[in-house]
Amino acid sequence: MTGAFVEVAPPRPRGEAAPSAARPSPALRLVRAAPPYLYLAPGLVLLVVWTYWPLTQTFYLSFHSWNLVPTSPMTPVGTDNYERLLTTPALADSVGRTFQVILGLLPFTVVVPLVVNLLARGVGGRMGAVYRGVVFAPMLVAPVAGAAAWMFLLDPGAGMVNAVLGTDVNWLNSTATAQWAIIVITGWHLVGFAVLVVAAGLAGIDSEYTAAARVDGASPGQITRWITLPLLSPTLAFLALMTVLLSAQWTFPLIDTLTQGGPAGSTTTIHYLLWEYGFRSHDAGLTAAAGMIFFVGFMLPAIPLARLADRTTREEGR
Amino acid sequence: MRLRRTAGHVALGLLGLACLFPIYWLYAASLRAPGDVHDQSPLPWPLSLENYADAFAKNDVAEMLLNTVTVAVLTALGQLLVALLAAYGMAAWRFRGHRLAHLMFVGIWLVPFQVTMLPNYALLARLGLLETLAGVIVPMSCSALGVLLLREHLMNFPKELLDAAKMDGRSSWATLWTVVVPVLRPVLAALGVLLFINAWNEYFWPAMVLQRSNAVIQLGLRSFMGTEGNDWGPLMATAGLASLPVLALYLFLQRHIVDAFVRSGLR
Repeated sequence: MTGAFVEVAPPRPRGEAAPSAARPSPALRLVRAAPPYLYLAPGLVLLVVWTYWPLTQTFYLSFHSWNLVPTSPMTPVGTDNYERLLTTPALADSVGRTFQVILGLLPFTVVVPLVVNLLARGVGGRMGAVYRGVVFAPMLVAPVAGAAAWMFLLDPGAGMVNAVLGTDVNWLNSTATAQWAIIVITGWHLVGFAVLVVAAGLAGIDSEYTAAARVDGASPGQITRWITLPLLSPTLAFLALMTVLLSAQWTFPLIDTLTQGGPAGSTTTIHYLLWEYGFRSHDAGLTAAAGMIFFVGFMLPAIPLARLADRTTREEGR
Repeated sequence: MRLRRTAGHVALGLLGLACLFPIYWLYAASLRAPGDVHDQSPLPWPLSLENYADAFAKNDVAEMLLNTVTVAVLTALGQLLVALLAAYGMAAWRFRGHRLAHLMFVGIWLVPFQVTMLPNYALLARLGLLETLAGVIVPMSCSALGVLLLREHLMNFPKELLDAAKMDGRSSWATLWTVVVPVLRPVLAALGVLLFINAWNEYFWPAMVLQRSNAVIQLGLRSFMGTEGNDWGPLMATAGLASLPVLALYLFLQRHIVDAFVRSGLR
């Protein structure tokens, strides 16, 4: 059961067991079983201390009132925090805006990559490599640096965007446009990554299928509709789910640096609301309750995604 | 066919232009002479490094960059080490709880930072790690992506090599460092670059641990952006410096970096 290939001296031996000839003593069995656990220990300890235990603490906190000051007491308040959340419009508004961001990003992470890849199937070789290299670059630009670059482009006084469009819009400071600006900037960061993921998915489709369909007299449009798209659908599903996760990761720095959730709360997504509750209002109970609601909602897309990702890393190892 | 190829070039070319232009404009503005920042001419001329000098003089950019390098390198190395040990433990032995351990690593993808941030913050405060670089690095040193990726590579590791090491009477620890690591070196290098880039660009976690201090470049840039009446030249120079190391890495390792990101996507 243990020691598949080695059973000598674990790195940090626990307990002193003298090797006995006949039946291994319990202590020796312990030493022999220890190595895998010792190797796993650093990783698992980090996970428990920084993720899983805090998750239970958040659950506990969500039924208490506390202001984040270590010396001040936590008082149990029952389901008060949840009731407060559900009766103020802030949570529902922020959830709505989060959906808006995710929907707004889908053209960048699914539609444009799909269309561009279908158009560009004939483009290969050196030019293809150059295009791929260029479109991927924004994914590597730090989000805050991307924010700075776009703040400059969108500047109401001297920005390139207003100069080109001949407009005079204060893009980041008007409730009508701020949310769209955040979506476009996030989309700019992610679109190249999505293009390459779709390209990898297309490359993985066996060309024998399309060749066979062509022999049978199918038109290019029919081949795309009935062969390529169905075979590509797992990739597209992966990207759609990925958008949910990436949107959190990439919009937060943009919102925090460009709009701070404003103007008039028009860019406050659930991620930013949690941050404000926690570190601006110092209302730990309310933050924890909102966090738990967010966590449950987040699981819905995240579970299939985690399974897909788990499977992808498995295939990658082969 | 020819028409199709042209359409492909046009589509990719336009997208490439849209992707590249903001980056180009950022560096172009940073290289203009201070008076010309609002110039809309496509080429920055005359070139000037004055904005960079300004950024270094006003903003402690040198210290921020040094801190960011420290954080990104140590985070990536810590994640590599922890992931290597855990993956080795999972791949080389059969043991009770194997499945549970695997699920625990996959499971952290289900828990967003925002959900656990308050307890994390309280723990950091109790450990005295708030507003320290160690507080940014240590809690981040377990990467699920790293563990799962290395585990799969180790699962397919040639068993003969491990058996030979066992015959030689080597300990599992010696086998890891003298047999496994040399063979896995390319995989470890690619993963290391990916983890470095992620750590360099990370924003949420440093913002939480360091709060209002500007120890790393991403946060320094934020405080620079917040000041009234933007000083665009030095701001663009600082933003350029904040992305320069990763873009430079990308210039040399393009194919490897793209592969690593596309195959893993998640962190």
